[in-house]
Amino acid sequence: MAIHFEAVDFTYQADSPFATAALHDVNFTIPEHQFTAVIGHTGSGKSTMVQLLEGLLVPTKGVITVGDRQITPKTKKKELNQLRKHIGMVFQFPEAQLFEQTVLKDVMFGPKNFGQSDTEAQALAQQALRTVGMGPEFDQHSPFELSGGQMRRVAIAGVLAMQPEMLILDEPTAGLDPVGQAELMQLFARLQAEGNLTLVLITHQMDFVGQYADHVLVFDQGTVIKEGSPESIFADSDWLRNHQLDLPIAKQFADALAAKGMDLDHVLDLDQLTAQLARALKGGPHE
Amino acid sequence: MNELIIGRYLPGNSWVHRLDPRTKFVLSLIFIFAIFLATNVWGYLLATIFTLLAVALTGLGFRVFLRGLRPLLLLMLITTVLQLFFVQTGTVLWHWWIFTITTDGLLSTGIMFMRFVLIIMFSTILTLTTPPLAIADAMESLMAPLAKIGVPVGELALMVSIALRFVPTLMDEATTIMNAQRARGMNFNEGNLIQRAKSYIPLLIPLFINAIKRAIELGDAMEARGYRGGDNRTKYRQLQAGPRDYIAYLAFALFVLLLLGTHWLPGMVF
Repeated sequence: MAIHFEAVDFTYQADSPFATAALHDVNFTIPEHQFTAVIGHTGSGKSTMVQLLEGLLVPTKGVITVGDRQITPKTKKKELNQLRKHIGMVFQFPEAQLFEQTVLKDVMFGPKNFGQSDTEAQALAQQALRTVGMGPEFDQHSPFELSGGQMRRVAIAGVLAMQPEMLILDEPTAGLDPVGQAELMQLFARLQAEGNLTLVLITHQMDFVGQYADHVLVFDQGTVIKEGSPESIFADSDWLRNHQLDLPIAKQFADALAAKGMDLDHVLDLDQLTAQLARALKGGPHE
Repeated sequence: MNELIIGRYLPGNSWVHRLDPRTKFVLSLIFIFAIFLATNVWGYLLATIFTLLAVALTGLGFRVFLRGLRPLLLLMLITTVLQLFFVQTGTVLWHWWIFTITTDGLLSTGIMFMRFVLIIMFSTILTLTTPPLAIADAMESLMAPLAKIGVPVGELALMVSIALRFVPTLMDEATTIMNAQRARGMNFNEGNLIQRAKSYIPLLIPLFINAIKRAIELGDAMEARGYRGGDNRTKYRQLQAGPRDYIAYLAFALFVLLLLGTHWLPGMVF
């Protein structure tokens, strides 16, 4: 499912004294079966945008095309329910949405809402739990007995169990330890590659963007100011800093090397950096 | 929910905004009682003028207040229309089966409606122009004498200010959880009464659990910062009544006297 935003505006509580404009004239494309990263600093409208994607909100102006469906300001809320079956969304701190008595039942909640039978839902739930690395011993535990990291995995499994074609992740690694973060990101990258998912990731961690993303959207003050491949986005370091955005650590290092006269090209993650350095050193003064 | 204006605060810097919250609190209470002193057209005319004047002084615009009335309109209409059919005195204007509309009924219905509108408008002035924490401070200050008879005023005030502080946080959290469950295929507000009630379980359980977690964290954080109970604390926000407040009290005293005075004016008496 490819997604297009065309001149989308969104205002919270429109026509009231509390109206606040969150998005204005947003245009972009999320390509199918790719890893799209959304960056931009806090309050730039990223989270509002994903709620529009998921059909939790309808635009105040403009058109959103999701696959062959169009969402306009006139779209009825009921039609959007069908959309959600295809688009899975993991909210920030998703562990706050767990409520069932057992881990298994909680993961079954989604599939059952979309009409799966109990046995089907259970099979999907177990499969999703194994995918996120939760062993069968946890199935009958209460979700509230688990650690924060485990709860997050269960919550993510609850979304994966619905087998969405598109997965939206709103800062899925926030508040996790570095190992947990890296593990989760690897999991998402693997799911995306193997399952041919369309993945949308909102994040502040540029290292992950450099490492995994195919496509990047940059948000600032409620609109998309740049769209393109990670190379093209990270090419202009000064522009990013002016928009209060960071660079991947590998790119920062490459910039520092460039300042000393060593030019490396195409450096987005540590693997690329070390490969390039190794090549440069081998092909350097020794030969 | 977005329509409801009662209990919300609109920042501003008008004459009313800068009043001492205690003044606004007390005067709002007085107004609710004073309105019952109005017994004829003159009384209501005076009360209406006074309310409009107060509304104008908030600098928020009349439309905001009217909008606040809208969600309550149905409630007001139901109550007043009942009044219309229960008053049986006066000249009969219309009669069908057991329903009778009389001149007195019509008048008292109008009066009832007016009373609702005025009370709601006036009490919205307090909440629209006063930040919730200032209202909590005002309540604490006004309840201070009750401490002498053993009412834990400090604790009550703390609870009120914490509750007020967390209303928006909990609202946000409720919205997020609701959205998260909708993303998992939950349909709120669909089906029969029992299904609807059940559909709120996936919202309420996480909300309660998060509230309990938050309470534990807040308690720990407060203790870590040396909170040991309400006794012998100093206050950062000091309330101070100024000339503006005396003017407001004076205006109110004048209003109540005039309202009493309208009793002796000729005119229809209800």
